[in-house]
Amino acid sequence: MSEISLEVGSTVAITKDQFDKLLQSLQKMGYLTIGPKILDDALTYSPISALADLPQGYISEQDAGSYRLVNTGHTRYFDITPGAKTWKEFLFPPRTTLFTVKRNGNGWVVEKEDYQGKPYALIGVRACELAAIHIQDKVFLRKDCSDPIYQANRQAAFILSVDCLHPGGTCFCHSMGTGPQNSVGFDINITELNDVFLVKIGSEAGRMVIGELQFTPASAFLMQAAKLGLDEACNLMGRELLNPHKLPSILLDNLDHPQWENVAKRCLSCASCTQVCPTCFCWDIHEKPDLTNSSSQRVRVWDSCFNPDYSYIAGGNTRPNTMSRYRQWLTHKFASWHHQFEVIGCVGCGRCITWCPAGIDITEETAAIAMETVE
Amino acid sequence: MTTNIAPKKTAVHPNEPMQPNWAEITDIQPETAGIATFWLRFKDPSVRAGYSFKPGQFNMLYLPGYGESAISISSDPEKPEMIGHSIRITGNVTKNIARLRVGDEIGIRGPFGTYWPIDRYKGADLVIGTGGIGLPPLRPIIYYAMHHREDYNRVIVLYGARTPEDLQFKDEYASWEEASIETMITVDRADEKWQGQIGVVPILFYHLRMDPRNSVVLTCGPEIMIRFVVYEALARRVPTDRIFVSLERNMKCGIGQCGHCQLGPFFICKDGPVFSFKQLEPYYNVEDL
Amino acid sequence: MGSDHEELRAALKTIPWFQEIDIKHFDSLCGIAFVKEVEAGHELFREGDKEDFLYIVLEGRVAVELFVPGRGRMRIFTGEPMDVIGWSSVTPVIRQRTASARAVLPGRLVAIDAKQLRQLCDQDHDLGYIVMRRLANVVASRVLITRLQLLDIFAHPVQEGKYE
Repeated sequence: MSEISLEVGSTVAITKDQFDKLLQSLQKMGYLTIGPKILDDALTYSPISALADLPQGYISEQDAGSYRLVNTGHTRYFDITPGAKTWKEFLFPPRTTLFTVKRNGNGWVVEKEDYQGKPYALIGVRACELAAIHIQDKVFLRKDCSDPIYQANRQAAFILSVDCLHPGGTCFCHSMGTGPQNSVGFDINITELNDVFLVKIGSEAGRMVIGELQFTPASAFLMQAAKLGLDEACNLMGRELLNPHKLPSILLDNLDHPQWENVAKRCLSCASCTQVCPTCFCWDIHEKPDLTNSSSQRVRVWDSCFNPDYSYIAGGNTRPNTMSRYRQWLTHKFASWHHQFEVIGCVGCGRCITWCPAGIDITEETAAIAMETVE
Repeated sequence: MTTNIAPKKTAVHPNEPMQPNWAEITDIQPETAGIATFWLRFKDPSVRAGYSFKPGQFNMLYLPGYGESAISISSDPEKPEMIGHSIRITGNVTKNIARLRVGDEIGIRGPFGTYWPIDRYKGADLVIGTGGIGLPPLRPIIYYAMHHREDYNRVIVLYGARTPEDLQFKDEYASWEEASIETMITVDRADEKWQGQIGVVPILFYHLRMDPRNSVVLTCGPEIMIRFVVYEALARRVPTDRIFVSLERNMKCGIGQCGHCQLGPFFICKDGPVFSFKQLEPYYNVEDL
Repeated sequence: MGSDHEELRAALKTIPWFQEIDIKHFDSLCGIAFVKEVEAGHELFREGDKEDFLYIVLEGRVAVELFVPGRGRMRIFTGEPMDVIGWSSVTPVIRQRTASARAVLPGRLVAIDAKQLRQLCDQDHDLGYIVMRRLANVVASRVLITRLQLLDIFAHPVQEGKYE
């Protein structure tokens, strides 16, 4: 045990071989530790039990419609930028049964599901992803009503976030003000340097975990290295989005801009962007009766505004073409979201750019509209 | 954003907003072809006591095995023990609700949405312009005006339908007239048995001498009809913040969380369905928004 | 005749059209108009009749009807007080009535001799311009009403057999 006192807000250094013990402490506390892992050439968020499970030496080369894992032989574990998976699926599961109703004489009775939050320890949450979680908190946890599933999962979750020193080809968190550094909302935050992890304690739970490890004070030298790395990371972003705070009014003032038709010619309305986006929250309800209709389940599933059924009302579709659906997605993300939740819905993770089969880049699309607008 | 958000007295649990409360069908009143008014009463007396609604709000009605449908409440807000919903068959859920009988149970979540803010316009002339199935969501105002007639100056109903057979609540018009509610009815077409007006609802404005400084216009119905009623109101210089419109979109949750009902920055279920035209103006003429 | 004339002038003065023209034109129009009282059910004109009078409703209600074989007499429009019935008689294309008009309620109308009105307009273009402008407004309003009726906006939105 080290001599210095550990408090919420302290930063200490641990050697990388301590990380396995960190994971074990979490497991002993009952957490299922989930982290970045390469499976079948793709980066997923899967159960991990040791540092060796992580993609040491890898980076991902990302561009519009293009993604490759490359092993450059470096020694770090957390350099790889996010793939198609997001942490959203752990807090807001893609498919959940809300409740079951069963026939009771002439009527029905609800069989409630007891939402036991799954105790996930989310290992390696990057700044953009943590910002996305905070944005989804605003959607699902409202004073007037909140989603019991998200609430249970969120309260049970442990967040180990990671500062991003090596952003990727489609990253623009710096433009969006969401990264590359984590500032609030984590239990533990780490900055990975070549030989050590700098660890910042964000909560009491985090303090308990780190308290069981061997740690040393974070020297000025290490802190300086981290700071330099983060400053440099701001300049290494693959993309840039200028003046995002102006987009809410620019986009809603330009709903008839010719750029919408332009992007509609390229967009496949495939909904990939909404699947990989860490803030998209639209959902649908499916009714699942049994064969005799003596019981039925209400199942909540992820939905997408690109789904043609999404805007169907009696007798017609209020968004019957790709142009209107693309416009809905982009104006919601950058403009309406701000009216609804007082933040912009995009965190600059770049996934929608990477995973768009048509290579549509929202930094270019928003710029095309913003550029022609007279201030 | 809006000041006509109803004070909370709902049958929706804030932490379990998707769970229904059960209600019994106490009466089914056939209206016109394909439309009937279902009268529902919560089974649990404490839920019944804790529920009230304001004119313009809607409930999500749940039929197990089929799903939910957002239906406006068309009954008297001062009698919330029995809640009336005028339902037209438009899809799978409503088609199967239409097969139910008195005594069967339906789930209710609600009430949701903003309301017709007539409580802010005491002394005004209320001009209700609607047609077809747009009348049920406005009928609660008519009930309210009948109970509080002295609170308003003129109360005018301009109502139209496709044919005389499609006029909703026909047998109530006389009682509205008796309550000093000016009722002007028109149909799109009829045969010679119809002694009333033939034309379209917006034209009824031409036969009305209205004072724009004191008028509040309230409209609901097919969006194209709403558009022309609004044009007539604007042509008569009613200010945009005194023209109120009720809109409809695909709804799944009613609580502004599933995303489906958005129109521009608004959730129709939460920021609407009742909007002032002033709020909607920047978005109203954008096609396919 | 004297009191009829007074009655006519008083009736015309209630119509917005006639409130905004100069006295010379007003007098000319009075000369070719008269007030007609009708009982409920009275047929003003029938499809196929000569297009002789333009009517302005003062009181009551007049229905415009078309006879559709198999469906009977279909009412497509009703004129309320201050509405014009039979406007096409002023600028006829088909030289006979294309619809019938029948009083639904007992009422009073102003009838203006269409042929004489055309002659007055030909002789005095200032009056002609005023009359044609007023008629253009009437026609525009009827076209709008007809368009909205054509769109059948209150039709049931979902048809049988379509995807729900």
